[in-house]
Amino acid sequence: MRTKKEYLIRYKDGNLYCDLADIWIDPNKPVKKALITHAHFDHFTFGCEEYISTKETAILLKERVGDNIKIKTFEYGEEFKINGINVSFHPSGHILGSSQIRFIFAEEKWLISGDFKLQNDETCKPYEIVKTDYLISECTFGLPIFKWDESNKIANDISKWITNSPEKTSLLFCYSLGKAQRLLNEISQTNFKGNIYSHGSIHKMNNSYKKLGIDIKDTIKIENKKKIDELKGSLILLPPSLSKGSYLKKFKNIQTAFASGWMSIRALRKRSGYDKGFSISDHADWDGILEVVKMSEAKNVFFHHGDSEALRKYLVEKESINVLLFGK
Amino acid sequence: MSLKKFSELFGDLDSINSTNNKIEVLKNYFSSNDPIDNSWAIYLLTGKSNKRFISGRYLKNLFSQIYAYPQWLIDICYLKVGDSAEVITLLLKNKSNSRKKKLSNISLNELLSETIPALSKLNEEEKNLEIKNLWETLPEDNHLIFNKILTGTFRVGVSIGLITKSISKLINIDEEIISHRLMGNFKPSIDSYEFLINKNINLQELNSKPFPFLLANTIEDKIFKNSINDFQFEWKYDGIRMQLIKRSGNVSLWTRGQELVNESFPELVEKMSQIKDDFVLDGELLVWNFKEQIAFDFSVLQKRINRKSPSRSIQKKYPIIFIAYDLLEINGRDIREIKLENRRIELEKYFSKWQNKTENNISDIFKICDLIFPKDWTDALTYKEKSRENNTEGLIIKKKTSIYSSGRKKGIWWKYKVDPMQLDAVLIYAKGGSGRRAGLYTDYSFALWKDKELIKFASAYSGLTNIEIKELDKWIRKNTIEKFGPVRSLKPEMVFEISFEKIQISNRHKSGIAVRFPRITKWRKDKKINDADSLDNAYALMKKIS
Repeated sequence: MRTKKEYLIRYKDGNLYCDLADIWIDPNKPVKKALITHAHFDHFTFGCEEYISTKETAILLKERVGDNIKIKTFEYGEEFKINGINVSFHPSGHILGSSQIRFIFAEEKWLISGDFKLQNDETCKPYEIVKTDYLISECTFGLPIFKWDESNKIANDISKWITNSPEKTSLLFCYSLGKAQRLLNEISQTNFKGNIYSHGSIHKMNNSYKKLGIDIKDTIKIENKKKIDELKGSLILLPPSLSKGSYLKKFKNIQTAFASGWMSIRALRKRSGYDKGFSISDHADWDGILEVVKMSEAKNVFFHHGDSEALRKYLVEKESINVLLFGK
Repeated sequence: MSLKKFSELFGDLDSINSTNNKIEVLKNYFSSNDPIDNSWAIYLLTGKSNKRFISGRYLKNLFSQIYAYPQWLIDICYLKVGDSAEVITLLLKNKSNSRKKKLSNISLNELLSETIPALSKLNEEEKNLEIKNLWETLPEDNHLIFNKILTGTFRVGVSIGLITKSISKLINIDEEIISHRLMGNFKPSIDSYEFLINKNINLQELNSKPFPFLLANTIEDKIFKNSINDFQFEWKYDGIRMQLIKRSGNVSLWTRGQELVNESFPELVEKMSQIKDDFVLDGELLVWNFKEQIAFDFSVLQKRINRKSPSRSIQKKYPIIFIAYDLLEINGRDIREIKLENRRIELEKYFSKWQNKTENNISDIFKICDLIFPKDWTDALTYKEKSRENNTEGLIIKKKTSIYSSGRKKGIWWKYKVDPMQLDAVLIYAKGGSGRRAGLYTDYSFALWKDKELIKFASAYSGLTNIEIKELDKWIRKNTIEKFGPVRSLKPEMVFEISFEKIQISNRHKSGIAVRFPRITKWRKDKKINDADSLDNAYALMKKIS
């Protein structure tokens, strides 16, 4: 076995790093050069000299943080060289523009899964199977208690939740980039035909998706002066950061829900403080992670972003796959 | 009506926070389902029975065995979920491809009156097969309810009060009547439901039932502005609150938890049967130290509570007494509407009559509570402070002009409890919580110094705010010395103020002491572990009381 220094990609200061290419992947501190898997803020930090991402991710990032960043972009599947190492982006199915990143050096293939899901999502490219020798996979939901329902079932549940309380205003909290657009896409295919409003941050992302050619249902940007009566029976999409505090005071007679994979656990649902939880996620569930491990044909697997104890033990015992641990 | 409807009701009740909406949902359920299913729903929702058919551990083992699933994986999942029934429900979602059979659509009644009782008649192998069969034929939405009923862990945020209110609204009859009808045994049947929703009120019908209990509130400062003469003062005993009922010659003992406990206390039933009058008394059952005329600790009473048909020697070793503090009904006449001070006069009058007229001496098992007469509120405080000396928890203060209504009504009865005892202790172990606190370390063990060693003296899990729990959980994960399954031993660093009600010698604990109702009252971030109390301090507390 090699020492950790000898791996092509390793953990350095809590981030993924490739020594030979001298490049960081989704670093949480300013560095010289950073590959960005997708435009969520927990995968991006200000102050890097140069960013490299897919075209869509670059556009979304600029919409969110302004034009003052230097980003080089590549198409999915397009190979480019960094210090002699072949690198390419491949769709990961997480949100629009999200990618897995493949490294090839001296015939050895490495794949960083990024955040990914296998479930159907019409607002982004589906997950692409990429074969590799080494896989670095996320494992946010790495327990078999996580098993996602079809997203149209969840959308129908949401539709029923709204229409069963016609006298109320239904506030659905969800991440403003990715989840909100996926939900809008799904909900527009249900029986719910009432008005949908969205918070400014979500509205902005909807427009970015539209510009990138994704068909997203029109929503009304929620204005401060909206009359309460007009909102009765309608759906309002809001970012989770507004669920606590004074923002909700302006609404009368509301019901609240949170759309997140964590909502499949009753204790978390109860602790979250929302009336209801809809279990829908843009990450892979247990079966999804196992499937990706198998399809990638990786002989060696690393996990990050989550508690990997169960997956490690399961893969070693049941699938005889070598699961490695990053040294700190 | 299908089980699915009940599963939906459970889901709705679980996800609604507003009381009014819960009542509305319940009302709708009751008005659209069969009486028999309704009676089972009430039975489950009021927690009238949480009979455990199999344990959570058994359920998990069974799943592991049937689907060749690693036990360790189920255990890891459990730490996240905190409820066996729910873990298995979630894991069963992964087994949906093993469903070949047609999905059955059984009613709540069928499930509870036939399917589940039939399980207990089978041998283990047959039982396991049948549970597997049910898992694979019941619609997925019903798994949680089914697993929870099996393991006796069905609970949802609904109080008896809510059920009472929703039925009261449904049929437009006063809540007090519904609440009374719901007291005591509730056998699910068409009759029991129809009785509950009967619009004609017949007082005879309630003959076998205790009255809804009146409960005391925590003392409020504003009470001290009133004249001391407006109130009746009693000691607050730490026993079993009980209504002692004799109607048509039959004695029944009902606890506040609405259990009939005649079998545990036959000597009381026998003695009270000799009284000629019929009556309903409200009072406290205690194990009594006749020599010193004070109650024994609750721990002694526990030796009697769960023992049915106790032998003569047990009866002698742990002699019980019923201390009455109120008379609610006498010879068929409901006197709850007359003032407390007048009810007290009646109580004293009848007690002395019974004492004189009963052939056997009843006062060795039955007395009425002594009243206390503080001169002013300062004097009342002095009484309260002395209450540990006679093994009571403080005072109960009752408004003399009050009637006996039901529930925790404000402005009628107050409890004036003695301040808890406190020690500063060091956090040394933490364990994962269950239920709502799953996935967080919320069960803590605390230690006191003995020379240079920290000795565990109490466990507590309540008293911290949600924000503090999260903060402490983070700290625990970073400061773990060792993991033993769900338990972690921790770096001794954090000091907490622990409050408790009683302290006594115990040879079951390494510390040699046991405390009652320990809880966290302050996170002493200002203290270092060397500032924590020693076991000697605890012994000193014990001496001070006795």
